[in-house]
Amino acid sequence: MTELDARLRAVRDHAREAAEDLRARALSIDAEPHAMEQHLDSPAFAMIRESALPEEYRSASPAPALAGGDDPAGRGSCLESMVGVLELFRGDVGALLACPSPALAGVFVALLGDEEQKKRFYERVRTGRTWAFFAMTEPGRGSDATAMETRLERDGQGGWLLHGTKRYIGNGARGGIGVVFARTGPSPLHIRAALVELPASGWRAEPLDMVGLRGAALSEIRLDGVPVPGGMLLGEHLPATRRGIWGAVQTFNNMRMQVAAAAVGTAQAMAEYIARHRPGTPGTRRAVARAEAARSLVYEAAARIDRNPDRGYLSSAAKLGATRMAVETAHWAAAALGPAGLLDHPLLEKWTRDVCAFEFMDGTGNIQRLHVARGYQSGDADGR
Amino acid sequence: MTTLLHRAERTARQEGLAAGLAAALSALSERPALSGRGAAAAAPGPWAALPARDMPPGARVRTHPLADREEIVFVACPGPRPAGTPEQAEAARLIAAVRLGIVRRLLDEAVEHLSERTAGDEPLIRKQLITGAVADIIAEVELLREHALTGDDDPEALADLHNRLDDLGWQVAKLFGASGYIADHPARALYVSALVANVWTDRQQGGQAA
Ligand SMILES: Cc1cc2nc3c(=O)[nH]c(=O)nc-3n(C[C@H](O)[C@H](O)[C@H](O)COP(=O)(O)OP(=O)(O)OC[C@H]3O[C@@H](n4cnc5c(N)ncnc54)[C@H](O)[C@@H]3O)c2cc1C
Repeated sequence: MTELDARLRAVRDHAREAAEDLRARALSIDAEPHAMEQHLDSPAFAMIRESALPEEYRSASPAPALAGGDDPAGRGSCLESMVGVLELFRGDVGALLACPSPALAGVFVALLGDEEQKKRFYERVRTGRTWAFFAMTEPGRGSDATAMETRLERDGQGGWLLHGTKRYIGNGARGGIGVVFARTGPSPLHIRAALVELPASGWRAEPLDMVGLRGAALSEIRLDGVPVPGGMLLGEHLPATRRGIWGAVQTFNNMRMQVAAAAVGTAQAMAEYIARHRPGTPGTRRAVARAEAARSLVYEAAARIDRNPDRGYLSSAAKLGATRMAVETAHWAAAALGPAGLLDHPLLEKWTRDVCAFEFMDGTGNIQRLHVARGYQSGDADGR
Repeated sequence: MTTLLHRAERTARQEGLAAGLAAALSALSERPALSGRGAAAAAPGPWAALPARDMPPGARVRTHPLADREEIVFVACPGPRPAGTPEQAEAARLIAAVRLGIVRRLLDEAVEHLSERTAGDEPLIRKQLITGAVADIIAEVELLREHALTGDDDPEALADLHNRLDDLGWQVAKLFGASGYIADHPARALYVSALVANVWTDRQQGGQAA
């Protein structure tokens, strides 16, 4: 079990205040995920954005210890970031994902970007008016991402042209800058990431109407010869093995923890909701205990990533277990409200849709199962 | 009863959720205790889920964006609600049959989807984790059908049936990946059928699932 010291408790308490602001916006963002103007000056959004920016791009002093530390993006340790973000997710996961911030693309740019690329990226997203996208998945290629078909073709003048289709891309249709993955040739080492700044010719993006987690604003993007200047391929200054997929794997290791935290935060929110609206419901203490256990596992997995960033065994186990727990809690909570409870409790109804997203994000359940089994067989389960 | 349950399941499987629900509610409304009042009179809570085409004229209605697309609406049932009646038990069984039909309908579609989609050089349907999931789902369908047919009217048993159907629907939805999470995808019927069951069943005391 990972104990929180005074500094981490301060991170948690600070995030709790922002979580209330997110909660208040949750239903409106779910109903109209593209009507964001009214939310952009939210104090919680400012806090989330600032804490994900490197120090030199921040405009205010960061939240206590939500930022700082030695991570290249200026964030603290994985554990620190989990402690804060879990509280925010407990406010509302959809509202948090609707916040214009560096997000997943920021983690990747911090790892693979050169100074010029970082400047371009962070100057755009620091305003709080620009969303960032991270475009990997394609209509025909989801879990099997290394078989992606989107191509980077040379334009004959030192630059590139992007061709292909991406789907289920958060912020795709409203984004201003982000990362698009594509291949320059047949092998996995030919998979590269381009920093794409909009507007750009040949770029067409449309929002997808989703069942849940609608704040994430998933989109489909058609790339019909989108120009990418030569200097905008990420990782050019790094060895060939560290340019494309390596960075994506590191980014996913981070993101998988976020998804596990989102599952825990949402499950806690649902259990608390039932305790408040249906006190004495059988199963409440069990739901709370299960969410607590999953939270503890998320902290433990985060602490383990801080010690050994390349070992993803425990973070996969945490994502797998937390996601399952969150869906089970949603089913229990829906039943606990009594007949037609979902109609009369729209926030809970929304969460019962949102929790389903965690299964698909950053490696489906089956992909995590494969990671966990592989980690176990190589001794990771004994490596605490 | 057996014939009615089979018919509701078959209709849902062949024609979809609204048609299955219409078949189930038409069977329910034949009950002598409901004579002339319509199936909604048996609803355990403040709303009844009905196919939009069967909505009584002038009724107060609530809608839901996903249910709209399945052509299902929620009609207000004012006043104190009956509790633990035989009609409610029958409604729970009929709605369970509809849910089983929807699970079959979407499982067929998922298997087709996974037969066309490849990972490496192999169709996803050949991955053993997926074969196992498909087998578990269909075995559970067989078991829950018997549960609906042979169970008694005990509210806890009927709550358990629907709690397990919630999980079963989710096991099928997962097979589609993110494509089944798009509001326009047929897998939407799995989410809406859970909402319909939430309206038509009282599981407060059987809430032992989590
Ligand atoms: C809310 C949300 C946000 C997202 N955001 C982004 C984003 O910002 N950027 C981005 O690029 N993508 C994003 N995605 C897409 C996500 O990464 C994909 O959904 C995921 O990679 C799975 O791909 P798929 O949906 O095509 O499912 P598939 O890979 O087609 O999977 C279908 C089914 O097969 C199973 N399966 C697949 N491979 C195997 C295997 N080898 N063995 C056993 N079973 C297998 C899966 O578990 C699943 O049940 C997002 C998705 C969601 C739902």
